[in-house]
Amino acid sequence: MKQLLDSDLELVVESGFIHVPLLLDPAIDRELQTPLRTETVPERSGSRKSTAVIEVQGRHFIRTLSVQSLVTNFEKVSANSYQQLKNDCLREYFLTPELDSLSVDGKLRTILFQVMTYFIKKNRGLHRRRWSEEEMLDFIGEKINIPAEYYERAQTFLDTEPLRTTLSDLGKKEPTFESLHNGLISAQELRAWLRKTVFTKIVQCKRKSLRNALHVREQFKNTKKKHLAILLYIADKGSLEIDGFGFSRINSSDEYLVYKRTGEYILKDYHARSYLFPDCRVAVPTFGTLRPIVMETYKHPFLLGHEAGQEICLRQFTPPNKFTAGNIIGGVEKGINALIYGYDSRRRNGIHGLDRKLLHVKSIEFDDYRI
Amino acid sequence: MTDVERKKALQTDEDQKLLPLVLEIMPGHAAEGLIDIYEPGSYEGKSLRKLCDRTLSKKKWSIEEQLIVEDVIRQREGGRLLCRGQEIDGTALEYAEAEQTEAGEKYLYVPIRAIKPQEGGIGLIIFD
Repeated sequence: MKQLLDSDLELVVESGFIHVPLLLDPAIDRELQTPLRTETVPERSGSRKSTAVIEVQGRHFIRTLSVQSLVTNFEKVSANSYQQLKNDCLREYFLTPELDSLSVDGKLRTILFQVMTYFIKKNRGLHRRRWSEEEMLDFIGEKINIPAEYYERAQTFLDTEPLRTTLSDLGKKEPTFESLHNGLISAQELRAWLRKTVFTKIVQCKRKSLRNALHVREQFKNTKKKHLAILLYIADKGSLEIDGFGFSRINSSDEYLVYKRTGEYILKDYHARSYLFPDCRVAVPTFGTLRPIVMETYKHPFLLGHEAGQEICLRQFTPPNKFTAGNIIGGVEKGINALIYGYDSRRRNGIHGLDRKLLHVKSIEFDDYRI
Repeated sequence: MTDVERKKALQTDEDQKLLPLVLEIMPGHAAEGLIDIYEPGSYEGKSLRKLCDRTLSKKKWSIEEQLIVEDVIRQREGGRLLCRGQEIDGTALEYAEAEQTEAGEKYLYVPIRAIKPQEGGIGLIIFD
């Protein structure tokens, strides 16, 4: 595509498609000179005549890319040019890329205020009650050290006026889409049009994301600066662990591994000998099928190998697909229950037995855990 | 409070006077559960399992507590009641540890966990 746009060719836009000059090949030329055949053969999809080859000013052009598809997929097919355009857009409109990456909403909130409250002991003494989000954030604030810069960020975050101004400015000088007219067009003109259209699209996306950011910020307008600083810190770090419960962000997305530590535990074999298993983190991802895994390099009768990130083999368990606090809690509990309470020494119900080896499968040894 | 301190407190208080018994039943791996208090004279000699049944069958619970009761009952079906990692089998006093409130009132505390074991593995046959 790059070669096409950088060329000196004269192209034709017709019915939403870019047509490029047909190669002057004697065989093709002969074919084109037999109109009876090409005109009478209907397209598979209907009875219309084929428009793959068109004639403009005595020259033949053949259909190639869809204009719409070129605009839609420009980011994928020409990543460098797209990034350059995006940078130009940010520079021209004085926008900052960080605004997009603030994620104090969504799954993080569910993990903090619905899953974490289940696994963490919050109340002192004998009083038991559900905590508000503010109380939960106070509790987290007591457990972790929030750097001073996050209080400054919270102040900026709560001040929505600059964001409103940016949005308003953007609205005033937002470029508009111009449709591509049918007919002859040079590759240079097409390149300029494409650049302008993609640029307009980026500006519109940016405006949409700014509107979303403003919406999120307005939801926090009644939140105390201290609490927002805690939230921003957690959103920025992407991970947190308190009293054996924690979560860890996967890459830079809004997806997490939510885990709970098992602590050390003992399993017994057929001969009632004890095996001490080390602590591990049983985690459930917040996307896809919510199957429990062990994060550490670990071995257990319910794990196939001895490596990190293995799924725990569970019987009579259909993992849910939908992210909800209940499904995450259920998945983590099932994983822990399987590891600590699921092995039956009499039936040796695992993939591996603690005291027996498989005949045909490479088995895992547990002798080093024996106490 | 360390284990030694707890034991000491328990022995001293047992000798001196009877303490109320606080039973907390937690569903699964929840950090907090349902709190029920038995006054002195109402729990001695009774099995811990019976006390749990009595607590779970009470009708006094709020809507929020009733949800915990339902969760505990759900986990207990085909599951176990554990206290400090051991299946409960005996009187409440055998599992109790002395603790005190922030106001300095002493009590005996028994944490119970309702766990539904999850079977694992893929059913391969193991040979000798």
